[in-house]
Amino acid sequence: MSPLAQAGGLSLHGIGGAKDLPISPELAIAGAVAALTVSFTVLALAWRKPRYDEVERGRLTGIRAPLEVPAVVAVLRVFGVVVFLYAAVAGVLGKDLLTNPIFGMFYVWWWVGLPLLSVLLGPVWRAISPARTINLVFAKVSGGDQDRGLFDYPARLGYWPAALGLFAFVWMELVYPYSTELGSVRLWCSVYVALMLIGGALFGSSFYERGDPFEVYSTLAGKLSIWGSRDGRVVVRSPLAGLATVEAAPGLVGVVAVLFGSTAFDSFRDSIRWVSFVQGTDRSPYLMNNLGLLGFCLGVGVIFAIGTMASGVEPGFRRTTLPNLFAHSVVPIVIGYIVAHYLTFWFETGQQTLIQASDPLSDGSNYLGTGNWSVNYWLSLHPTLLADLKVVSVVTGHVLGVISAHDRAVKLLPKRHQLTGQLPLLFAMVAFTVGGLYLLFAA
Amino acid sequence: MRRTAPLLAAVILVLATLSACGGGSPGSSNSGPKKIDITFSGSSVTPNGEKVEVGVGQKIELHVKADAPGEIHVHSTPEQELQYDQGTTDLTLTIDKPGLVDVESHALEKTILQLEVR
Repeated sequence: MSPLAQAGGLSLHGIGGAKDLPISPELAIAGAVAALTVSFTVLALAWRKPRYDEVERGRLTGIRAPLEVPAVVAVLRVFGVVVFLYAAVAGVLGKDLLTNPIFGMFYVWWWVGLPLLSVLLGPVWRAISPARTINLVFAKVSGGDQDRGLFDYPARLGYWPAALGLFAFVWMELVYPYSTELGSVRLWCSVYVALMLIGGALFGSSFYERGDPFEVYSTLAGKLSIWGSRDGRVVVRSPLAGLATVEAAPGLVGVVAVLFGSTAFDSFRDSIRWVSFVQGTDRSPYLMNNLGLLGFCLGVGVIFAIGTMASGVEPGFRRTTLPNLFAHSVVPIVIGYIVAHYLTFWFETGQQTLIQASDPLSDGSNYLGTGNWSVNYWLSLHPTLLADLKVVSVVTGHVLGVISAHDRAVKLLPKRHQLTGQLPLLFAMVAFTVGGLYLLFAA
Repeated sequence: MRRTAPLLAAVILVLATLSACGGGSPGSSNSGPKKIDITFSGSSVTPNGEKVEVGVGQKIELHVKADAPGEIHVHSTPEQELQYDQGTTDLTLTIDKPGLVDVESHALEKTILQLEVR
């Protein structure tokens, strides 16, 4: 098989075999009805005074926050660097075969595993990010302060660098025809590491909070975790309290639009309608996929911007600030949909990657002792349960999203607009959720 | 959280009830082989991205007519590759797990079939 044929023309099939069955129409409708009902119930019955703010709330435990313990911090940093170097060895010295674990590490562990882990544990990437570690070492060696660079990070840039980085990733995954060639992944990672180091040198480590696509993604997902910290102690909190602490800044809408739009496009491009449409026209599939991905991301961003800006505000309040002030509320919708979309892929191809990781150079070695394990296909073998899990995940995300948007609305909007002002945003959220369910059903 | 917990419970209840009503229809797994014709001619192939339902473990017979030899990629887990010759070739395969399986020609960069395996 030539490498070109292996890359596939239309769809990424390099890693992961069969895809999930579509969910049943009954289940899709049930999910949509639940989402609608919950939305209006929240609007009618929920509290009228804001309950959450930027402060880390929640129940204080007696446990010392792990990231305040130097030994834990060091272990996590070393772990990040070791995995990074291991992947680099596979990427640089390994063979250009689909069994090279670099592909699974890149597309499954990093892209899907990291946000899922962050939902469970909190913002993982900032604790293990090799770019942060290298920046820290440079600062130690040169006697500087790791948090400060040559310049202050321009506030106007906000999350835009991360949104662009995330788009570059999904473009590589979903559009670029050679996404499963070693050279492509190696080049992507080299450019990523180079940009992160330059960003760190110019603006200090605060650059990573806004500019590292993976840190931004991981931190947003981590807001849904039940763990927080206050005064050096672990706090147990509601995901809603966590969400309210998302820092609004320019580009936050861009980040959630790329994450949601690209996942929706990934479902859509597998649908038989899109496949036969692309194969039926004379236009290049590459162009069509580019337009499709861009269209989905822009569409999500525009719908959300209209939904938030169509609200009533006090005179003198700038409507253009509203999309970013509400963008945190789309995060649970994004995560719920990503769990539904990627759960089997993460579980099965993630295991496959662990098996392949034992032989990074494709020479028959078994360094990790996982080489002779076999993949557990339990999820695929229980399609009904899987379909239920997906819908529960999408609807749960929707519920959290609607409640957190409501809480922000009663805080920001003038009293007489608090309920009616939420309606356009509520419609946008219902559109996202129902659209997501439709894609899970129709793909 | 006092108000969100009952909401979540209600959602789960609605879903559970409705998905129970939806009920799983019995699979067609042991109802004889599924026969599918595939024709390659130049840079085109029929079917051109068609959805076909098959059962888990059901025998699938591909009746291939082609003007040149080539191979068909079945993106099941694990993947399967099937060779065909110029003229007619009969290929058989089965898929042992539920899922959506694309059947592609990589040389033409086209999806021929999407098998919905239940």
